[in-house]
Amino acid sequence: MSKSDWNSPEAVKRLAKRHAAERRFKAIGLGAIVLSLAFLALLLFIMLRNGLGGLDWTFLSGSDSTDASVAGVWGAAKGSLLTMLVTLLISFPMGVLAAIYLEEFAPRKRWIEWVEVSINNLAAVPSIIFGLLGLAVFINTLNMPRSSPLVGGLTLALMTMPVIVISGRNAIKAVPPSIREAAYGIGASKVQTTFHHVLPLALPGILTGTIIGMARALGETAPLLMIGMRAFIATPPDSLTAPSSVLPMQIFLWSDEIDKAFVQNTSAAIIVLLVFLLAMNGIAIYLRNKFEVRW
Amino acid sequence: MTETKLTARNVDVFYGQKKAINDVSIDIDNGLVTAFIGPSGCGKSTFLRTLNRMNDTIAGARVDGQILLDGEDIYAASMDAVALRARVGMVFQKPNPFPKSIYENIAYGPRIHGLAASKADMDRIVESALTKAGLWEEVKDRLTDAGTALSGGQQQRLCIARAIAVSPEVILMDEPCSALDPIATARIEELIDELKESFAIVIVTHSMQQAARVSQRTAFFHLGSLVEYGETDQIFTNPRETRTKDYITGRYG
Amino acid sequence: MILTGVLLAVLGLGLVGWFAARARARLLYKGRGSMHSMPTYHGWHMALWILVPALLAWGVWQAIMPGLVNGAVFADPAAATLPTDPMTLGAVMSEAYNLAADPSAAAFNPEAQAMVEPIRAAQTRFGLIGAALVLVVAIAGGGYGFTRIRPDFRARTQVERAVLAVLLIASLMAILTTFGIVASLLFEAGLFFKDVSPIAFLTGTHWSPASTSGTDISDNFGAVPLFWGTIYIGAIIAMIVAIPLGLMSAIYLTQYAAPAARKWLKPMLEILAGIPTVVYGYFAALTVAPLIRDFAAGIGMENPSTESALAAGLVMGVMIIPFVSSMADDALAAVPRAMSDGSLALGSTRSETIKKVLLPAALPGIVAGVMLAISRAIGETMIVVMAAGAAARLSANPFDTMTTVTYQIVQMLTGDQEFNSPKTLSAFALGLVLFVVTLILNIVALRVVKRFREAYE
Repeated sequence: MSKSDWNSPEAVKRLAKRHAAERRFKAIGLGAIVLSLAFLALLLFIMLRNGLGGLDWTFLSGSDSTDASVAGVWGAAKGSLLTMLVTLLISFPMGVLAAIYLEEFAPRKRWIEWVEVSINNLAAVPSIIFGLLGLAVFINTLNMPRSSPLVGGLTLALMTMPVIVISGRNAIKAVPPSIREAAYGIGASKVQTTFHHVLPLALPGILTGTIIGMARALGETAPLLMIGMRAFIATPPDSLTAPSSVLPMQIFLWSDEIDKAFVQNTSAAIIVLLVFLLAMNGIAIYLRNKFEVRW
Repeated sequence: MTETKLTARNVDVFYGQKKAINDVSIDIDNGLVTAFIGPSGCGKSTFLRTLNRMNDTIAGARVDGQILLDGEDIYAASMDAVALRARVGMVFQKPNPFPKSIYENIAYGPRIHGLAASKADMDRIVESALTKAGLWEEVKDRLTDAGTALSGGQQQRLCIARAIAVSPEVILMDEPCSALDPIATARIEELIDELKESFAIVIVTHSMQQAARVSQRTAFFHLGSLVEYGETDQIFTNPRETRTKDYITGRYG
Repeated sequence: MILTGVLLAVLGLGLVGWFAARARARLLYKGRGSMHSMPTYHGWHMALWILVPALLAWGVWQAIMPGLVNGAVFADPAAATLPTDPMTLGAVMSEAYNLAADPSAAAFNPEAQAMVEPIRAAQTRFGLIGAALVLVVAIAGGGYGFTRIRPDFRARTQVERAVLAVLLIASLMAILTTFGIVASLLFEAGLFFKDVSPIAFLTGTHWSPASTSGTDISDNFGAVPLFWGTIYIGAIIAMIVAIPLGLMSAIYLTQYAAPAARKWLKPMLEILAGIPTVVYGYFAALTVAPLIRDFAAGIGMENPSTESALAAGLVMGVMIIPFVSSMADDALAAVPRAMSDGSLALGSTRSETIKKVLLPAALPGIVAGVMLAISRAIGETMIVVMAAGAAARLSANPFDTMTTVTYQIVQMLTGDQEFNSPKTLSAFALGLVLFVVTLILNIVALRVVKRFREAYE
């Protein structure tokens, strides 16, 4: 092809066509994002439109009722709080300790590989399976009280722990070896090095992962259906073994009501739940930005 | 008159199947600076790390042979690696202060080894370590600042101070100036010269000039073996081995 | 009650032991190098010797005490008047125990009331014995720990060994959970397959677990319609939505968007992943499903139902978008820059480079991402429960109502059924299938991702 060919009408046309294709492709990409976000906006808009009117003190302080006008979320919110407390108390220490072991101490042996494989898989197992586990083990075998924050929290803890282990391992891995060498170099033992230096440096990352895992657990419904947290609970639970509901379950129960008045309640409860989740994710992002050290 | 501080006899180091150090025997004396030189990958850093068992922290590393500190086998079962490293301190290639305050960087070692009986005691240890490292005047008004906020040269002196603070008997330095500019390097070299009064110092360096400037003894490593070891002057002016001669005259590097 | 008190006492002892041992060790300290371990470690060593054996003893006693109490109660003269029929006996005894625990409750059975005193007496007696036992163990452990405080004693090594044991136990929890899942699914599904033939379950096309008609019960448990519904909704409809949108979003974000725009758009897209599935389900049922029903009526379908595979699949697809997008993002980022630079330097446009060079190079990573997305979609429960319907049918019409594996699991296990009926147990068989399928998808996908990363490292 000689040089002048680039100015021939065919070549110009061809080039214009390629540029048009380029613009089209870019527009499709932008369109995909806009469409996804539009869906998000629509969802939020509908929930706000339906639910904002229902957010008053009676709603925030009340418990479930057959009468939509007096039903409220406090009972379910308290159940969520108690459940999350159990989840946090079990999954956080367990997850962090396991992450430390696997990252800093574990020998490179076959059985450790099994532990790693099972953690990675547990993180991807459908949540409903954890519900089946909770039902079979905690309720049918150990005879723990159905529908209680204790069993709910334990079930969700098993689900959350792998998430914390994985984020914990990544955070620990990000602490540079030079810090460990520095500590070894002045005679700190391996345990001292880990707990005095590595863990504090990894903690912001671990906390971020923990909050994200907890947010997921807070929004989870399916496993709790399995362990019977589907009851009509008209009083807030006052102990870890009392029958209780949780926020997402309350949403699910109300969404099933035939009475149209519950549409407002359902949407308002969704707003409450989303506010909690946004706050948690906000804290996680803040922690990450504030404390994350780039090595 | 010098006395032998560290003795290595027929030391081999393996990483997995690979032999990194081959049959090294060397005596390191008190009160002077011993330099390890050699082309990169010759094993000088690896050998240095066997002297305070830092190789223990690498999976698959294995040491054969004998290394004695004051006649005591440091790889014996009765020797605690942690206690050993308090006696044989180490300074690394890149300054690696803990992301804590300057004060805490120094105080950490004495604290875990229980060297200070009181806060006043600790203050004294910190001051003396920083003074010996020539850093006290620069940082005495900002001891609570982060150690990582110091300049590279200051950071490295902080790391030296940190090592001094646990009163080791030997200080191992693994290319301590490789990440520093010439002025900071000169400062560290002066410091090394002062410190040799109190500690046996072993320094790994890739710079022959530096070895000539700071050390009294020099060991030349090549391909995992100790080729030649002697007085620094003799090594640089009148090496016995042709390989040493080739290296210091720049035939290969 | 007493045993709770003794637990606190043991903790208190541990604290005292910690201080005592540390103080003792400090006296022995004669300067640098005179002791192997710092006094604090001697404190911890002592505290562990007090706490660990005592807590073990406490646990053992807690486990055997109810049996001992029961034995003592039945030996009591008051037990002579108890009914002999095991059913009533059990009820009376359980009421009596409740009364003993909660004095404010009113007795329903006079026999139960009579048993309260013996129960309390036995509980107090054995509680005291247990408390004494635990305290003796604690003190003995502490005594042993105390004698070991010597300058050359390696307390730190011992304490660190204990720390390692705790770490190890924590990491074994993951294996235990996996084992628990596999064991409970296998066990319950095993009970189910005693009544229903596995072949009929996996290949049958008729699903009506509630019906008792038919000669062979296996005929009512053909799960193929559920598998089809699951695949149709999760792996077909949802993916038709999620793959193009997620992939194009990732391409735009990584290849075209300005850094500032990317900084905002990416987290906003991720909000989609953070919304609870019950919210999606409600949105699907409240807004999307009626729209689809009206649309179906508009194109001439008769009696379209509100619940439809399309409503559930669409919303599920949206939920999966950020997931596909972030997997594709990673895959595209893993392709070395030199590759696309090479193409751009030849004069190809960015979109040509993406289509001809980047996407083929990133394909394994993207495929793995899609597999993970499918695994997530077929395990998703709330959206299908709220929007897909209950009818088990083999249909390719997206406007039909369809049911899925997860929907049926929920259906079988909620409400009041006796636990061991085949209907209830079928949930575990379905759970087992779901677990195995998602496990395979995950393992294969993780393998592909790993190999893909290695290829470019």
